[in-house]
Amino acid sequence: MDRIYTTDRENFRKYTDASTFDRIVSFGTVNEMWADRVKEYATLTAIEDDGKKYTYAQLEEDAASFRPLLGTGKRAAVLCPNSYDFVKAYLAAVTSGNTAIILPPQLPADAVYGCCMKLGANELIYHPALEEKLATVKAAAPTLPLINITAKADEPAGMTDAKPSDPCVIMFTGGTTGRSKGALLSHRAVMEGTVNGCYGYKDVFNQRYLLVLPLSHVFGLVRNLMTTLYTGSAMYICRNNKDMFRDIAMFRPTVLVLVPALAEMALMLSYKFGKNMLGPDLKYIICGAAAVSPYLINEYPKMGISLLAGYGLTESANLVSGNPDSIGKPKSVGIPYPNQTLRIVDGELWLKGDNMMDGYVNEPEESKTAYEDGWFKTGDLVRIDEDGFLYITGRSKEIIVLSNGENVSPAEVEAHFNAPAFIQDSQVFEDVGENGNRILALEVVPRMPELKGIEGDVKKYIISELEKINKELLPYQRVSRIEVRDTDFERTPSMKIVRYHKCR
Amino acid sequence: MQITREEIIEKLKDILLSASDDPHVLDRCTDGAKLQTDLGLSSVNMLYTVIAIEETFDIRFDDVTVTSFDTFGDVVGYIEKKMS
Repeated sequence: MDRIYTTDRENFRKYTDASTFDRIVSFGTVNEMWADRVKEYATLTAIEDDGKKYTYAQLEEDAASFRPLLGTGKRAAVLCPNSYDFVKAYLAAVTSGNTAIILPPQLPADAVYGCCMKLGANELIYHPALEEKLATVKAAAPTLPLINITAKADEPAGMTDAKPSDPCVIMFTGGTTGRSKGALLSHRAVMEGTVNGCYGYKDVFNQRYLLVLPLSHVFGLVRNLMTTLYTGSAMYICRNNKDMFRDIAMFRPTVLVLVPALAEMALMLSYKFGKNMLGPDLKYIICGAAAVSPYLINEYPKMGISLLAGYGLTESANLVSGNPDSIGKPKSVGIPYPNQTLRIVDGELWLKGDNMMDGYVNEPEESKTAYEDGWFKTGDLVRIDEDGFLYITGRSKEIIVLSNGENVSPAEVEAHFNAPAFIQDSQVFEDVGENGNRILALEVVPRMPELKGIEGDVKKYIISELEKINKELLPYQRVSRIEVRDTDFERTPSMKIVRYHKCR
Repeated sequence: MQITREEIIEKLKDILLSASDDPHVLDRCTDGAKLQTDLGLSSVNMLYTVIAIEETFDIRFDDVTVTSFDTFGDVVGYIEKKMS
């Protein structure tokens, strides 16, 4: 089966008031957008970090003093923790005709060197706090220019001209399968992703964002930082997640961009202490990078907060779809954003659009197999309902082919087991049964506060409830073994569950 | 008001019970129990624990990461020191 779906920004109009919607306009390049925003919002706070506030004009002034140190037409690796200095390094690099290679700050020294070599870095901007991570680069590539982010040129330099097709950033793909690759995103793609972050809710401009996600992840860089700057908003940088709620109490954000595990934790802490830990001004949690539980979508409005789920990939400059009607369609990842074309081939989502990457850097084989006839194959299994809402039903790589030839998508089955409020997470996987045969097995992590009133053996209760759900499934989707875990699943750095591959 | 070690342990156990995904976590909760391996706390559970401790005891952790502590007893000792 093969179907093509077009997108239209008008699909989002009814979720925003007319004057706000008309302000959501396109820019071809980051340079064009940034020049406009510096002019329009000069005196407003852009970034708040480490006790200091920086206006849009100040940020541009600091970036301008850094540009001459970078040259132009280069690949500039950026090795900075979440900080004002990161923002300065990134903006200075991309608005002076360079491509920023965003290195995750947790990389060990050998990996910093390896990434610089593999991705063709011509220079490396580093934060003094991470200087020890330069050891291998200094030893093995002594000619690579190392530029301290605190350095300043004698004379500032303005932005260069850029075209939408020019390379802008190289971001590492994360994910739970496959090895990490560098996805090359053009100015057009980054700006498309940035603007997409404005659709589907009412209060878009001049908001207060708090940053807790890493800026080395596309969700942090595009949806958090870039949409902040596009909308004339202020972004407070939380330097240590443990201080998140103290920072929230002080800064009073209106928008938070979170992965589901952090949204869950914030909700549980709010329940434990009987107060809204996210502050009185918070209106929206933008939630993605992993499957969002309908439980969170339904619970947060009780605190006056809308939790809006979305879907995206590093390869699509973060945003493919966003859900403006989370309550009405809590299982959906929303409506596809404009300027994309979606094609569903045998259940798998293929994409074309302005937000898409220009391939993986120095990975000719991977870049070739990622596409077919110019379509990027996401590997995600999806469906679209009659109202145009997108649903993720699994990953094509994770499909389990049973001995009888039936195909089972673990995510699709997990969605059923995740339905009760007392289930926080689940994993369906293929395992070896007692007789050496292949079976479908289920492990769950309970949400304990939802089980407080249960008398007797809690695990027995959970299993008996899950057995009821199991019986309602299609025969080939039913699991043969259910286990209630005492601990959370192993997770990736971006807090996604690491999948079992016991039979591969 | 001075808080006793026993009172700290009681409050900390209450936090652990809500932080953990295991209803029987307190059965293994001895001074020497390792937070990650014995009590099975994930990075998210640990973050929850640190934040809940700060909120409950009205203390602020110094420049520590959520993985700075090895055992349950280490955490009790740290709170005791901060409260004294």
